Parts: sequence; structure tokens; C-alpha cells
Amino acid sequence: MKRFGLIFFLAMLLSVMPSVAGAEENYTFDLSEIEKKPYHFGGYVEARPVLYGLDTHAALYKLRFFDEPDRRALLEANGRMRLEGSYEKNIFRVFARLNTDLQYNDHTHGLERTTFYEAYVSAKPLTSVKIDIGKKTLKWGKGYAWNPVAFADRPKDPDDPEQAMEGYIIASTDFIRSFDGPLKTVSITPVLFPVYDHINSDFGQNNNLNIAGRLYFLFYDTDIDVMFMTGPSRPDRYGFDFSRNLTTNFEIHGEYAWVRNTRKTVLNTAGASEVIEGEAHSFLVGMRYLTSFDLTAIIEFYHNSAGFNREEMKYFYSLVSRGFDAYQITGDWTGLSRAMNLAESGYARQNAMRNYLYVRLSQKEPFNILYFTPSLTCMINTDDLSANIMPEILYTGITNLELRLRAGIITGSGDSEFGEKQNDYRIELRAGYYF
Amino acid sequence: MLREKSLIILLLVFMACPAFAADGTKLLREIDRNLSPESYESYRKLINIEPDGKKKEFTLFTVKKGTDKVASVFLAPASEKGRSTLRLGENMWLNIPNVGKPIRITSLQSVVGGVFNNADILQLDYAVEYNVLNVKEESGQYLLQLKAKSKSVAYDQLKIWADKTKRLPTKIECLTEASMLIKTLYFKDVKDFGDGIVRPAVIETDSPLYKGYKSVMIMAKVKKRTFKDEAFTLTFMPNLESLR
Repeated sequence: MKRFGLIFFLAMLLSVMPSVAGAEENYTFDLSEIEKKPYHFGGYVEARPVLYGLDTHAALYKLRFFDEPDRRALLEANGRMRLEGSYEKNIFRVFARLNTDLQYNDHTHGLERTTFYEAYVSAKPLTSVKIDIGKKTLKWGKGYAWNPVAFADRPKDPDDPEQAMEGYIIASTDFIRSFDGPLKTVSITPVLFPVYDHINSDFGQNNNLNIAGRLYFLFYDTDIDVMFMTGPSRPDRYGFDFSRNLTTNFEIHGEYAWVRNTRKTVLNTAGASEVIEGEAHSFLVGMRYLTSFDLTAIIEFYHNSAGFNREEMKYFYSLVSRGFDAYQITGDWTGLSRAMNLAESGYARQNAMRNYLYVRLSQKEPFNILYFTPSLTCMINTDDLSANIMPEILYTGITNLELRLRAGIITGSGDSEFGEKQNDYRIELRAGYYF
Repeated sequence: MLREKSLIILLLVFMACPAFAADGTKLLREIDRNLSPESYESYRKLINIEPDGKKKEFTLFTVKKGTDKVASVFLAPASEKGRSTLRLGENMWLNIPNVGKPIRITSLQSVVGGVFNNADILQLDYAVEYNVLNVKEESGQYLLQLKAKSKSVAYDQLKIWADKTKRLPTKIECLTEASMLIKTLYFKDVKDFGDGIVRPAVIETDSPLYKGYKSVMIMAKVKKRTFKDEAFTLTFMPNLESLR
């Protein structure tokens, strides 16, 4: 049934693709194109086949493919459909974005997940006041790959930071004031963040109302935000961020977050799990630079004191290895099961360690090929010097169609974070169409 | 006696120069006001045309207030819808709805690709960014030579050819500090938009850096309108379309 769903989805994708030939027409400005309607409907469909070259010696391979110890490759078909619509009346607006993800490979077979990424009602009684109630992403922070100060959002995927994200159910208000002089703008965003059964229940401790807030200034041409989140669901956290253009082609940004009383489950030297409590500090510093020949460089350094250190990761990899061997020899599942629980608690999450360097270089339209952007992205774990290197080419020359071919090549020794990922490499093609 | 005459001539030249520059500045301000009211709304279509004739079109709603505030939101195509750009003086931001928060962009980048860059799309008054060095008459038109007031301006020099009676530009050459031509803007199809706004409805541009490529900007519904300052803020960027 799931396979049928995927075929149906791909057929739909092909059916909505535009006819490329014969796209030429005279340029005119038909005023009916700009007529404002109270409603809007749009969407996005995507097909994304991925080939994974697997590393049978890696810890995360052993954790996922323990029942197929010699598998060399995995071909996976992914599909996505996002539908969105809005309706406006007077000062009110309703907006919803529904996302469906489909996945098929011959290991896990079919997976399907449909959820509202956003669904909220807005009221805008004044230009300077806006009230939102519903499921929404707040998108705090200035970092490109990471946002340690995005207290009320899900973590973004640093391998694909421009992907749409699922929000949380909140109530928030924006108050904006503008001024003349060095302080040009101030805005205040208080947020109510409920966590109950069926409402943000995956966020933290249930049956609580949490409070968050952000204060934004544009001061001496610098964007500055100060934010906090407090409440019983998660430990209290406070942070700030900034962003400023030093010259027209050189921007710097940074974020800092302080979290009180974080809890982390770690393996100790004896191989036992223990919960460590303490403060956590995380920060990010970054820059964006555009050269005279249209090369954009984004460089960011991220530190998270709550991440695992090398020793803690080594104990985890060792536990996986022992569990895998025991399962292969005796069929004993105990060690692997324990490793899987630890993986879910944090060891297998993206960027689980402490220090990372992110470098992305993208060249706009080389050789005057319009809408063609080759890029190279490197995610480097500076604790163990392992890395994920991602070359890609993007073509957006056909209206509403986005084609991206991307590879991911892992480097790093055994016991290093990227060296223990399940793949040696991956190649993916993403064809996305907006309508 | 000769020394006295030379001194007088020199004095007259020195006195004439600032007067000429002042006239040039006045003329440039007139050109700015004729191109658009100080605060207005407009719709624009940008068309990038490739050497083989292939086109890509973008539709934007743009609002401007005073000398240093301008914002745009993309209405089409679907892949760009909802993207918004904001300029406050020399600061520029791009907000992509899916990506989230507004990111700072630079004047020389282009959010649409093609020959128009962000400075062209989020254009402030010329008199805000440039000093007039010189005004000449050439082929029945004014030729104004401008120099950027600071290094942060996208083009170091501009040459503006302007119609003497309408006081509207017909052609603008954008040059680097070393006088290398970056692009040429051609102003065409002067149209009455109502309420005293008479200006070119079409701006074409080409560039020796993009041989064979051309970009076109078509204006529609240019209207005087005032806005609250709060509409030109990062927090308001995701709501720009509500001003339509």
C-alpha cells in the first residue's frame, strides 16, 4: 500500500511539471496578475532519490543494519508534498501548511508522515501590532547552520538548513516601534508555549505553560536580539544574537545561549549510563562574504558545552561494537538494545559533540550560466577532525522548478563522529516543483 | 595688472563651480522626484532574458518611504512567492518564508539572478547616494556625472542622460571606480500613472559582464502612499504583502 502511495505521488509530480518547450512569450504586465485575492493556495512537490554507500565497519551502520551485516549500498526513494493556503478578512488571516513525507527503501520499506508544519490565525489591528495563535515556527537566531538561541523551535538540519520546519503550538504577539537616530527599531515578542497531552507533548515535561520572549533592536546598523524561555517543561534558557554588515559584501553574526541545569545521559568509564546535570553554554560565530567574482562564503564555528566529548563518544561506539558482535555470535540483543536507547537519548543526533566548523562556498552563475550555482559545503568536527564534504550543483532556470544534485563524502578515522556514520558517501538528486 | 586679471578669472571659476554643482544637485533631485514620489507603492515585473530568448519573470510589490526606506515582496512565481527584501539606508535583508529569519544581503548580490542586482531592485533616490560632479549638455540632453558618496554604494560612478524638458533619465551607465562599465539602464515608454506621476514604465538593462543577456523591469500602478515607519522593519517583513 505504501509502495502504491509512492508511485501515485511520483505520477502526480510528473503530471504537474511544466512543459519546458514553448515557454517563450512576449513580456507584458497583465494587471490581473497582481489583483489581490483574499485567499491563496500553493504548494511544493519533491522527488528525491538517494544512493547511500554504506560503511559496514561503522558504529551507526551496525546499529541500523545489525540484521544485514554485509550490505554495501542502499537505494532510497523519498517524496514530499507541501500544500499551503491562506485566507484574509479584515485584520484576520488564517494560514496552514500541510507536509507529507514519503520514504521507501528495501530495508525499512515504506514510511509516511503527514503533519501540519504550520496552522495559525493572525490578527493585525495595527501595522505595529500582530497576534498569532496556532502552530508556527518562530525562527530565532542569526546562524545559518545552527541556532542555539532558537529556544521555541525544533533544531534545524545543518546538512540542509534551508528546509521548511515543523513549528510548535504557541500564542505570540509582535509589538514594533521605529525611531529616528541610531536606534532605528525596537520590537518585543512575548510567547506563550503550552505543553500538554496532544499539544507540543514532545517538547518536554507535560501539563505546563512555558513563557518565552524576544527583544529586538536595530541599533547603529546592527541587529541585536535578546531572548529567554522559562517554564517547567525544559530548563530555563537565556541568549542573545547579533548581525552586522561590516562592508557591503561582508557580514558577521553570532549567537550565545546559556541553559541552566541541563541533563545528559552519558556512558562512564565503567560502561554504565549516568545522568549528568549542569549548566550549558553554546555559542556560534559566523560570517558571510561575497567576493568580486560572486563567490559567497559562509563560515561558522559552533560550540556546545553540553555536547559529548571524544571519550564519551568512544565508549558509546565501543558499546555498539560489543553489542553487535554479541548479536552476531549469540543472538543476544541486550547490548544493542542499550546502545539504541543511548543513541536516541542523544549520541546519534546530528552534531552531538562539542565543536564544529561549517564552511559553505557557492559560486553564482559561473561562466555566465544563468541560474546555475555550484557549491561546496564542509561540516568539520574540530574535536576529532572528521568531516562531511558535500559538493552540489543547483539549477533554477526553469520557472518554479529546482534541480539539485548533491553528494556527501565522509572523512574520518574509526572512533570519530563522521567516521562512525553509516555511510561512506551518499548521492542524491532533488527535483522540486512549486505551484 | 596681468596678475590681477588672472586672480579675478580664477576667483570667478571657483565661484562658478559650487553654483554649477548646486544646480546639478537640484537637477538630480528633480529627476528623482519625477521618477517617483518620495513615498509610494508600485508593482514591478522583472524579466530576465537569456541569449536564446528564454525568459524568467518575477512580480514584486514595492513600497518606499522617505529617502532611505524601501521594501519589496515577491508575488510570483510560486517558487519565490512571499520572499521579501528590505532596505534601510545601507542595510539590506532578505526574508525567505521557509528558511525563516531575515538574513543580511549585499547590494551587489541579486535575489533574482540576471543583470539587475539588489541595489537596482531596492533603489533609493540617486541624490541620496551620489554627488553631482558635473552637468553637460549632449545631443539635446543633460549628461550628469555622479560620484558615490561612500564606498558602500553599489556603483562608484553613474552617467545619467536626461531629457531636458521632461527631466527624466533616458539612459544611465553604471561604472566602477576605474571607470569600467558594469551595466547600462535604458528608460523607455514614458507613461502617465495618474496623480502627476509621469515616468518611464520600462527599464531595460544589459551588461558587458553578461554578454547577450538582458533584464527588463516593467512598472505598474505607481501611486503616492504613506506608510508607518514600522512597515520597514525586520519584524514586519513576513507581513509586507498585507500592505497591498
